[in-house]
Amino acid sequence: MAGLQTIINNASSLTIDRRKVVGLQITRNEIPRVTLTPTRQPWKMELEMPQSLTYYDNRDLLEALDTMDRVSPEIVTFSSNACLSWIFRYQGTLTQGQLNAMSVQSFVGNQLVLQTLPGIPSNRVIFEPNDLIQLGNYPYPFTSTTRVTRGIGSTITVTTNRPNILSVNVVNLGITVGNACDFYMFCPNMPTYKLIPGGVVRANGTTVNNAYIQFNDKFVLYEYVGTA
Amino acid sequence: MTTSIPAVSGNKANVTTAEYVKLVIFNEYNPTTAANIIANTQYEIKVSGNTNWTTVGANSNTVGTIFTANANGTTGTGTASNVTMLTFSSSYTSDTIGNIEYNPLGGLLAVGPQQRSLRVTSADTSIQISGIGGNNIYEILESQGKIRGSKIEITRGFFNNNVVLANAVVRFTGIITNYSIQEEREGVEDNFTITLDASSYKTILENRIAGRKTNKSSWQFFDTTDSAMNNLNSLAGFSFDFGGDPKSKTVVPGYNGGGVPGGGSRSTTPGTTTPGQRP
Repeated sequence: MAGLQTIINNASSLTIDRRKVVGLQITRNEIPRVTLTPTRQPWKMELEMPQSLTYYDNRDLLEALDTMDRVSPEIVTFSSNACLSWIFRYQGTLTQGQLNAMSVQSFVGNQLVLQTLPGIPSNRVIFEPNDLIQLGNYPYPFTSTTRVTRGIGSTITVTTNRPNILSVNVVNLGITVGNACDFYMFCPNMPTYKLIPGGVVRANGTTVNNAYIQFNDKFVLYEYVGTA
Repeated sequence: MTTSIPAVSGNKANVTTAEYVKLVIFNEYNPTTAANIIANTQYEIKVSGNTNWTTVGANSNTVGTIFTANANGTTGTGTASNVTMLTFSSSYTSDTIGNIEYNPLGGLLAVGPQQRSLRVTSADTSIQISGIGGNNIYEILESQGKIRGSKIEITRGFFNNNVVLANAVVRFTGIITNYSIQEEREGVEDNFTITLDASSYKTILENRIAGRKTNKSSWQFFDTTDSAMNNLNSLAGFSFDFGGDPKSKTVVPGYNGGGVPGGGSRSTTPGTTTPGQRP
């Protein structure tokens, strides 16, 4: 298993930051004015590792982290671990087959228009706020900012959390939702680790030298949007 | 449950902007004639002449139009300079303004403040591009200073609520006067930053020493038939007080008598003159 995915799978806490870059000024008569910088709003995840990883069993992880260092992005997902898959679970009411049938008609700014909708009642919910949507195989998830119901038209418009950052033609791309979405992350502040000696008894009854791995900081994973 | 959170600024739309920079680097001092232009090379029209530049890829024949030649050579008397046009922005995506596509650098591009006064004011600004790779540094250095003197145009783009570029306004036009490259290494962090200093055209004109001298040779530098300064030598040594008050008792050569206080008066009797009066 690759390094960053192992970190996600073993993390003891997760902090998510995907906020916009905003400048706030207070005028002389104390009226706030806001300016917004249109960025790609990359996902930032802070992962805290438990202090219980043992050196003997995780040398491959350490090698992967040291080799990866801070420059190589990697595709990670939250679906491969049953303990994590609930975090981005799809909240809408469509079946997997109905989701697979939908495709992108257009995506301009933060307005994502989907077509080939299923024949379901107009009040059925397709997306709830915070539902992840990925276009095609491009691992840059967007979220729906509002509840979107089927309606009576041939298309639905989803207002996404960030504008279309993909440089490819997105027309007719299929979608992936919920925890099936992928993230393209790298770790610019790869923390170093300290080994605290401690022996353990192996299953066969023999004692071997071992150590606990203590990372000196949190892992901060950034979405690598440079190639979006 | 659906919750709507009003914006801080009284439900007014956020001001969402990005900066767009167009840099035109001149690769040659003397413009190329229309017959010698090379395909797949960028040019800026210097003299339109009777050349039809649209046949080789230009949008128009207007002087200043930048285009990429799609053929080798064309006819006519026009000339064009070989240029390299770099366009980049602090936007999140590629945007097109005036048929020119701007490469998104996002937060890696920082643009300094620009002064906008009611009257024409000379002002300087700077732009900073960070997160530069070693190859880009090489390109800047390899250009051997050509980046100095290149034209810069900074445009601010305004986005609508759906983060789609709606309007764009030119903020600054000028010339790159200097550049600096900063390399910072702190621990394992390595960062390259290029800073381009730019001066507005007014500053350039203020510092410009140009024009013609008031002598025959200088006057005939451009037009050998211009005789406006031919008689200038006969005036050498004379002092003129242009705009000064009329002096009393000034003797005008070729006339009898001098002037009178307050100037003379023309005789109303034909054929008679008095001292101090002109016939």
